[in-house]
Amino acid sequence: MTIVVVMEQVPDVVEELAIAPSGTDLDRDAVSYVVNEYDDHALEEALLLAEATGDEVVAVGIDTTGELDQALYTALAKGARRAIKLTGDFEGTWLSTRAAARLLVPVIQELEPRLVLTGVQAPDDLDGQLAPTLAALLGWPHASVVIGSQLVDGAVQVRKELWGGMTMTLELELPAVLGVQAARQAPRYVPISRVRQVMREASIETRDVETPGDLAPAIMRLRFPEEAGQAEILTGSASEIADRIIELLRARGLL
Amino acid sequence: MLTTSERIAFVLIALASLLLTAHGVSRIVRAIARGQGRPNWGIFFRRVIPVSLDILLQRPIFRTRPFVSLLHAGVFFAFVFYGLVNIFDLAEGFIGFSTLHRGGIAALYNLIADLLSVAALAGMLGLLIRRFGLRPFRFNERVLLLPSVRFGISRDSAIVGGFILLHVGSRWIGQAVRVAESGRPDWSQPTASLVATLFHGWNEAALTMASHVTWWLALGLILAFLPYFPYSKHIHLFMAPLNLILREARPLGQLEPPTSSDGTLGAERLEQLRWYQLLDAYACIMCNRCQDVCPAHGTGRALSPAALEINKRYYLNRNLAAFAGGATSPPLLEIATSKEAVWSCTTCAACVRICPVGNRPMLDLIDIRRALVNRGDPLDPNLQSALESLARYGNSFGKPARQRARWAKELPFTIKDARKEPVEYLWFVGDFASFDPRMQENTKTVAQLFHAAGLDFGILYEDERNAGNDVRRVGEEGLFEMLVEQNLAALEKAQFRAIVTTDPHTYNALKNEYPAYGFRVPVYHYTEVLAELLERGALRVQQPLRAAVTYHDPCYLGRYNRITAAPRRIIRALGLELREMPRHGENTYCCGAGGGQIWMDSGGQERPSEQRIREAVALGDDLRYFVVSCPKDMAMYSDAVKTTGYEGRLTVIDVARLVASAVRIDGLEPESIPVESEAR
Ligand code: SF4
Ligand code: SF4
Repeated sequence: MTIVVVMEQVPDVVEELAIAPSGTDLDRDAVSYVVNEYDDHALEEALLLAEATGDEVVAVGIDTTGELDQALYTALAKGARRAIKLTGDFEGTWLSTRAAARLLVPVIQELEPRLVLTGVQAPDDLDGQLAPTLAALLGWPHASVVIGSQLVDGAVQVRKELWGGMTMTLELELPAVLGVQAARQAPRYVPISRVRQVMREASIETRDVETPGDLAPAIMRLRFPEEAGQAEILTGSASEIADRIIELLRARGLL
Repeated sequence: MLTTSERIAFVLIALASLLLTAHGVSRIVRAIARGQGRPNWGIFFRRVIPVSLDILLQRPIFRTRPFVSLLHAGVFFAFVFYGLVNIFDLAEGFIGFSTLHRGGIAALYNLIADLLSVAALAGMLGLLIRRFGLRPFRFNERVLLLPSVRFGISRDSAIVGGFILLHVGSRWIGQAVRVAESGRPDWSQPTASLVATLFHGWNEAALTMASHVTWWLALGLILAFLPYFPYSKHIHLFMAPLNLILREARPLGQLEPPTSSDGTLGAERLEQLRWYQLLDAYACIMCNRCQDVCPAHGTGRALSPAALEINKRYYLNRNLAAFAGGATSPPLLEIATSKEAVWSCTTCAACVRICPVGNRPMLDLIDIRRALVNRGDPLDPNLQSALESLARYGNSFGKPARQRARWAKELPFTIKDARKEPVEYLWFVGDFASFDPRMQENTKTVAQLFHAAGLDFGILYEDERNAGNDVRRVGEEGLFEMLVEQNLAALEKAQFRAIVTTDPHTYNALKNEYPAYGFRVPVYHYTEVLAELLERGALRVQQPLRAAVTYHDPCYLGRYNRITAAPRRIIRALGLELREMPRHGENTYCCGAGGGQIWMDSGGQERPSEQRIREAVALGDDLRYFVVSCPKDMAMYSDAVKTTGYEGRLTVIDVARLVASAVRIDGLEPESIPVESEAR
């Protein structure tokens, strides 16, 4: 059976980012891309599930960067059986999460997986909407902030993180969609020689998709955060600190 | 002379014994032949004479432990000569040939045999006392040992030692009996004649009896021992010279690419090792010298290079028929060593250098790493992120390549961009020197010294990548190759005469590994260049320094590449008093950072660098500076001085900073190192 992992590339924030002259986009020539960290965990979790059950992992992504091949080849080298990339005229747009989900649904339906995994969030999906949106469009159950999973006859048991260090275990009927926060173990290292071998021997399937014109958000202005005031760490005994806090609140007219 | 029935018995026993022995030897040869690759017999003829000479002079043995080596030399020379002695003794038994009371060459032969017998007996007794009394064989308790090894080593030592004692002793006493039989002392056999006095008063029948018994004990014993010989440590007699002779002339710092068999890169099982790695197991004499110098074992980690070889040998011996016949061995990580051990090797090559029989346990460890990495075995998380960063950014610091030469912006001059204009020296700076904030000061100092000396030099700026020395030794061959390709592409763009490096690891890779990829350019370490600049007056000492210092040889400089003189020339030229630590030069002790250890969590109780600082402190209360010439050493030892509590007492300093202090360059803040006062 099949497990689909949805992967996305995001700008590498280790490199210095620059804003394009238009003021509404990053300078894309200067940007380099990495796999969204959570998607990497989703892939690892999928591979671990598949190793236990003999399922087939299929990595799927929308090539918004023109460089998705790199990510997909790495996924293949790590153990995915197939890789599918959706291509279209995405240049200069930031695809909204809703638009991305719409593009992905037909492929997922065609693959008939019993499980879809993706990262719980991404820099361009900070409120973690991809997994729930996919689930809604597919009509399948879903869980987010997943930190571990297990396939047990006809269902998937997932552990998800709640607040205050609590976790919850629930069981979902299959097929289901999971937004993964962290795989059971750190994403594996894949030796370069294997990636290179995969690049020579394996191929990535390509599907052309229509660009959904209306669903990209309109960006009005993009800027770096301005430097805010500095933090001050209060030291001393509890009462000294309390005095200082009162003093500060008074000084700002809050008391 | 033997009786006829004795002669017949001897011949029959000899035949049986030789057959059994040949059977054992052929199995061992077939087992070794299961290793990957084939020996280059072409070099055999070229090397057999020089190596035999080395062995005759016992050079490989005398590298360390002078007293024990002397004992060994006694046994060794006796053994070689005993080849002749045994033939003559055979002739005596069979045809009554005798050298007793003869003059000339026979007397000389008698004298040598007589004296060497005593030397062998004394040497063997000494070695046995050492092994069983003074310094029994010990591994730390985390080392993986096959159950058969624990008892086996002592048993093997006892059998071989006992055999030599009995064989030589019987022959010696046998000679005494013959002297006694003749009724007068033989001046050419002084010690035997002395022993002969013990037999005064024995009647003729008793003496004849004794003569037969000692003959059988001396020569018959060989026949009894022979079938056991291939399985004993005594086989090192053949395997060690073979190992030394067939060793390809490859620089210590150059690894062979991993072998690939049944889809495995590197070695997971015995038969995936190279043939000479299997031969190593049979050449090993179990002297434990490699373990004594191993920094991993010395800091309580699970690694013992000796145990690795001995385990291999004992596994093979116990499963020889099956293995020689083609059976798959269990994983090396079950029979030879443990995963923890594999990951604690610093690739310092101390074991390789010290081993008297030419073994290279380090290579096995690297091959096992290669297999682990390629199989996708979980890695130490810090190592994994270093490798991922190296693959992505070309450095292990997780910093964008564009920031590599950021340190150079703080200089009062601009360093030439070697990609844009020709330079004489291309300075390959290295990761630590470029990115580690603690090291950047040193790097700038080196730049300023080069600049002040008028050296024509440039750098590759953001196109430089980690040279890959330790990446290769971690077992990530694919990443190593990728880094090589990237560096070669960058080097292609530049025009230069020679390379100068700051980092000994980089030095080693460029000098020894890159030639295999077609890169052949002179490579220098910055200490070599600085020494030269000082000596030819391009840098002038203005203020001789006055302090007692010690110098630490980095493994990849001192041991791997034998660059030990240049840094010392600098230190002396500056007027400093150099005190050597006991382990220096090619015998240096590892700082613990090599082979990727700098990226991993050390699981040892103590760090090698801490032991090293203690070694330096013991050189005297007035020793002020611990001089280094490797950016990784700077990092390791600065930490170690703090953790050992010697901060303030001993200062870790890069040799370039000392030079800067003595030559006084404008705009360079000198260290506060005591200087020779003007009046003196
Ligand atoms: S290379 Fe160094 S650390 Fe590794 S086994 Fe040999 S002596 Fe030990
Ligand atoms: S490998 Fe070499 S140094 Fe180590 S125990 Fe064997 S013979 Fe001695």
